[in-house]
Amino acid sequence: MTQAYLGIDVGSISTKGVIIDDKNNILSSAYIWTEGDPIGAVKKLLRLLEKDFPKERCKIVATGTTGSARKLTGVVVGATTVKNEITAHAVGTTTFYPDVRTILEIGGQDSKIILVENGVAVDYAMNTLCAAGTGAFLSSQAKRLGIEAEDIASYALRSKHPTPIAARCTVFAESDLVHKIQMGHTKEDILAGICDAVVANYLNNVGKGKKIISPVVFQGGVSKNKGVVAAFEKALGTQVTVDENSHLMGALGVAIIARRTEARRDFDFSVKDMEFYTRDASCGRCPNNCEIICVYQGKELIDAWGNRCERGAMLH
Amino acid sequence: MKNEKAITIGLPRGLLYHRYKILWQNYFQNLGFKTRESAPTSRMVMEDGARLAPDEACLSEKIFLGHVNSLIGKCDYIFIPRVANLGRNLDMCVRFSALYDTTRCVFWETGQKFLTCSIDVVNGQREEDAFCALGQSLGCSVRDSKKAWKSAKKMEEQAWDSAVKEQERLYKSQALKILVVGHSYILEDPYVGGVILQNLQKLNVIPIRADITDREYVIKHSPDLSPTCRWVMSRELIGSILQHRNKTDGIILVTAFPCGPDSMVNDLLTRSIHRIPVLQLIADSQSGTAGVETRLESFVDIIRMKKGEL
Repeated sequence: MTQAYLGIDVGSISTKGVIIDDKNNILSSAYIWTEGDPIGAVKKLLRLLEKDFPKERCKIVATGTTGSARKLTGVVVGATTVKNEITAHAVGTTTFYPDVRTILEIGGQDSKIILVENGVAVDYAMNTLCAAGTGAFLSSQAKRLGIEAEDIASYALRSKHPTPIAARCTVFAESDLVHKIQMGHTKEDILAGICDAVVANYLNNVGKGKKIISPVVFQGGVSKNKGVVAAFEKALGTQVTVDENSHLMGALGVAIIARRTEARRDFDFSVKDMEFYTRDASCGRCPNNCEIICVYQGKELIDAWGNRCERGAMLH
Repeated sequence: MKNEKAITIGLPRGLLYHRYKILWQNYFQNLGFKTRESAPTSRMVMEDGARLAPDEACLSEKIFLGHVNSLIGKCDYIFIPRVANLGRNLDMCVRFSALYDTTRCVFWETGQKFLTCSIDVVNGQREEDAFCALGQSLGCSVRDSKKAWKSAKKMEEQAWDSAVKEQERLYKSQALKILVVGHSYILEDPYVGGVILQNLQKLNVIPIRADITDREYVIKHSPDLSPTCRWVMSRELIGSILQHRNKTDGIILVTAFPCGPDSMVNDLLTRSIHRIPVLQLIADSQSGTAGVETRLESFVDIIRMKKGEL
């Protein structure tokens, strides 16, 4: 029996999963939308992963979860490792690109930069709590122009004169955009302008003061947008690599971390058929009134979090 | 000293309270007054403050107003000093010049009485003079007021010296150390900086506070990075970073949104500090801490990877 490792990355927009073996070969992978239902998305994801997985010769011995729903997912699937997405991405990328010096990443709600030396992450920065210039911004602006997010690049790459758009703040960018549309700028130029603005915003905020050295790898959902890739290459004056599995990098990274970590627990695909649900509770035991999330499997409370102090502990 | 034992003076647990609490408590108690502090910040305090605050108030000012609100009607006076500066090129943020008036306006209709004094060293109002005048405004003699301030000042200095010694001891630890840079009213507030310090401890990191430091030394050295910065509390933090950065594994800059001085100083810091990872965190009135947890966790991971521990 070959040992295999499962990595699941549940982000705000999309849910990704991958099963790898000891040599980082992908045995099975899947990519779906989260659609505001992380537990439902994970179950659906597991059904897809099970299809290609060679059960007769492989066995999943460790499971890692990452992404903004990593904690919830970790409880549901019985993960052996729960790791934040930044670390997972850093580990994934440096495994597949040992020479990488700079990792750019723009996701649905956040963006970050990781600087690497000798295969080890040495510095990083992340957007502060504001989501300007991320995937959510791109898709909302595309919608305003009546275009699908997937089609932004085909328009943007046709532009000869990108329209300058203020992207420091999403709210200001929107009003600038409306103004530019009414002035008669073409969709092509405006979309190219938005791609440039995302890059300018990224380099001025997250990339502020950081020395960007090539090779540069770009990942996260927005890396699938060739318009933004082109804008990055123009701004940095260097080639920007996007891996064909860039959307899976977080899941790959956390699967690798799960393998490196000692903890072992055989994974059983039957969790996809179990009933899980969450319930919001207000603690009410002090003026903080913490919002506590309780996770149930069937009728049994299996985990809870969100309390700032012991007064709100639902378990133990 | 004074016989009006019944008089209670309210001390809202926000902003400069965290810097001066020992001085204030002891000063009023030395004069024979009772002091009453508001309870530590909770979500209710923050929400009350956000509701009452004028537009553009920073998170810390909102929290402060929440604390004032919880003291209304529960004490004879609420003490809010005006602190403009501590000397030449030692300015305070303008909020501290306006705070007494801002607060009075917000609570105008409650009939609550407030108490103030003005510290503006550049214009000849030293702390000693301010507290002398403050005592007189409460009916105490000049002599008693001065004596009360002097003895309170001594207590403050002693407490500060031992706090500094304790922080300095932490730099010698072998564990992972992170310098947490923020104003005392952010780091001492359990609802804001407390969450960050607690989370770091959970990650087996020793958080060291940059604001608790030898103030004289760091003020002298802050011009090494910026000869023009005039905000005293920012200068203390700049000097402290210069003094300690080689003894720590990472630096976290914590700001309450929106902060004028920090927005400029932190930009300078992130551009000028190299070879040591820097994380910027901006605290707003969001109740969720997931964003903060993810950032801290990944920041600590990166440092551990860099050291080959992960």
